[in-house]
Amino acid sequence: MNNLFDFSTFSRQSTKGILVIYIAHLYKFLKVTWILVFLIVKDFTKITNKIDAIYIYAGIAFFLIFFLVRTYLIFKNFQFKIENEHFILKQGILKKTNTAIPFYRIQNINFKQNIVQQIIGVFEVSIETAGSSTTEISIKALSLQKATALKEIISKNTKLGEEEVVVEEKQIKPLVRIGVKELFKVSLTENHLQNLLLFFAIVFGLLQQIQQIIDSLGQTEVIDGFIEENTNAISASIFLVIILLLLLTIVALVSSFVRVFLVHFNLTAYLKEDAFEINQGLFTKKSIILKKQKIQNITISTNPLKRLIGISFITFKQAVSGKLNNKKKDKLIRIVGCKKEQIEIIKASLFAPTEVENSLKKIPENYYKRRIFIVTFLILIAVYAFFYIGSSQVEVLYTAILVVPIVVFLILKKVKKRFYKISDEMILVGKGLLETHITYLGIFKVQNIKMQQTIFQKRSNVADLILQTASGKIKIPCIDSQEAIKIYNHTLYKVETSKTSWM
Amino acid sequence: MADYFQNSEVISLPNIIEVEFIKIDKSYLKVILINFFLIFIPLFVGLILLDKYTFTEEITAYSIYIYALFTSFFGLIFLFLIFSFPKRMYVIRDKDISYKAGLFTKKITTVPFSRIQHVEIDEKPISRIFNLASLSVFTAGDSSDDLEIKGIKREVANQIKEFISTKIDE
Repeated sequence: MNNLFDFSTFSRQSTKGILVIYIAHLYKFLKVTWILVFLIVKDFTKITNKIDAIYIYAGIAFFLIFFLVRTYLIFKNFQFKIENEHFILKQGILKKTNTAIPFYRIQNINFKQNIVQQIIGVFEVSIETAGSSTTEISIKALSLQKATALKEIISKNTKLGEEEVVVEEKQIKPLVRIGVKELFKVSLTENHLQNLLLFFAIVFGLLQQIQQIIDSLGQTEVIDGFIEENTNAISASIFLVIILLLLLTIVALVSSFVRVFLVHFNLTAYLKEDAFEINQGLFTKKSIILKKQKIQNITISTNPLKRLIGISFITFKQAVSGKLNNKKKDKLIRIVGCKKEQIEIIKASLFAPTEVENSLKKIPENYYKRRIFIVTFLILIAVYAFFYIGSSQVEVLYTAILVVPIVVFLILKKVKKRFYKISDEMILVGKGLLETHITYLGIFKVQNIKMQQTIFQKRSNVADLILQTASGKIKIPCIDSQEAIKIYNHTLYKVETSKTSWM
Repeated sequence: MADYFQNSEVISLPNIIEVEFIKIDKSYLKVILINFFLIFIPLFVGLILLDKYTFTEEITAYSIYIYALFTSFFGLIFLFLIFSFPKRMYVIRDKDISYKAGLFTKKITTVPFSRIQHVEIDEKPISRIFNLASLSVFTAGDSSDDLEIKGIKREVANQIKEFISTKIDE
């Protein structure tokens, strides 16, 4: 439809892209050096010497110009075209790289807009691939027309184009739309503990950065004294501890809210013929097209609070290349705040879940419970021994009265949530501690399968099964050996006879 | 629809447990042992040197125990290597490749040919002396955990690679 743009010859990004790249560069630079900048600004008033001030101004100007030149060169050298069903990209100032991606490798094409891109009205287009070393290519700035034209050309060849027309009508009625009120509910019922830890991880990272700078300035004693003073005060007063706990609760709540609102603001999900379209984000708007065929497995999760108001969230897992690290976690696409009917629709659109859901629910052998208990208590004893020897105070041991029941309760919960169901075509695995996760996996999507058995397991005649998919492992621990062998053989049979492409 | 567990076809599925596995090449044990001594001997020499030159009086009093601990630790590793060696086995069937290993923890992995992304043959310096190679297959996703068969004859490795390549193209 859109032949306004010629992709057969090399073209560059929209010229506005220079601004986008420039700001991104400055932001990255500031992120690394903010503490240095802070120190300079703080001491700036003390600098009376005119020449010193001139040096600083010149330094700033130098960096600004340096980045501008660099940005311009990056922009100038960033060229792409389409040829022979390949997306070809040339980039690099000194080290030139040529990347060619065949269309069939392309997993999806996403549009993104951060705040700068929103203001100047351009879109960032990222092209995701699986199974190649360059996982993602992002074109920082394209006008909407050019971006859609590019997407159309690529998706037409990957046979997505035809349904596009049908979709237009359906778009009026999204499958899931999460307004502010629902989002509020979602954030209220988040796993606050996890968010708290995340928050601390970030704060700790910042503190370390500060510590490093201060170390290099040789002012450690001051800070150490400060910390020591405060820890003494805390151990002295229970009142402070209570305030601290309150503060933590507030921090946990707020960080949950901020995180949920930033990522999932204005979430709308559309169900299309062979894909999902998900739009979300507050400052950075993301539009994701998720092809059903490329989804490796889905996990439906909920926790006691969410179950109370009848919502859960769905995580879609796509194929990734290389190790699953934190950076690739954003390849896990989430729809939060789904109601039961919506989940049913999504499940039914991906596969036929009824057969597996109605099959017999099987739980791990008793060995599983025993193993967790033994391992956990060995660790617990080691930790207590360490603290006892370290502090040589008997009071440390008293906390066990509180800790042991909690640990036992958590283990029992964990064991209770472990189950699996298997049908001819699918496997369903349930797990969780406080949250409940249920993973649906089509057996033919398995990449390889592993079975392992320790000598202890052999005595109890149980084995662990590990199903490796293109989006990570799925473990079924401690099931009866004969059963494990049966699933092993069945999985191989299904994978080897399946004609359907796994992605 | 027939009930899954009464489906007669399931019983007739090829069973991975009943397949005859092939042991890896015997000379690979030599490679393992050479590698072992390449680590053990320098460490042992290092310990002796430490004992001779830098240990203080108090530590030297216990030096016999330190030696005993050191050698028994490596002795156990040595025994483990020897006894776990015959457990390393592989098999290639019409549609998949399997590898099993492990003395205390038995592991068996199977990769169907239709899921293999690429195959790699490595020849490490010591293995090359014995004309051995290691064959790795990679699937999509987290490829750190795929299948690697160490210690098969180079010609065999090449044959397997060729075989798999033709199978992937099918």
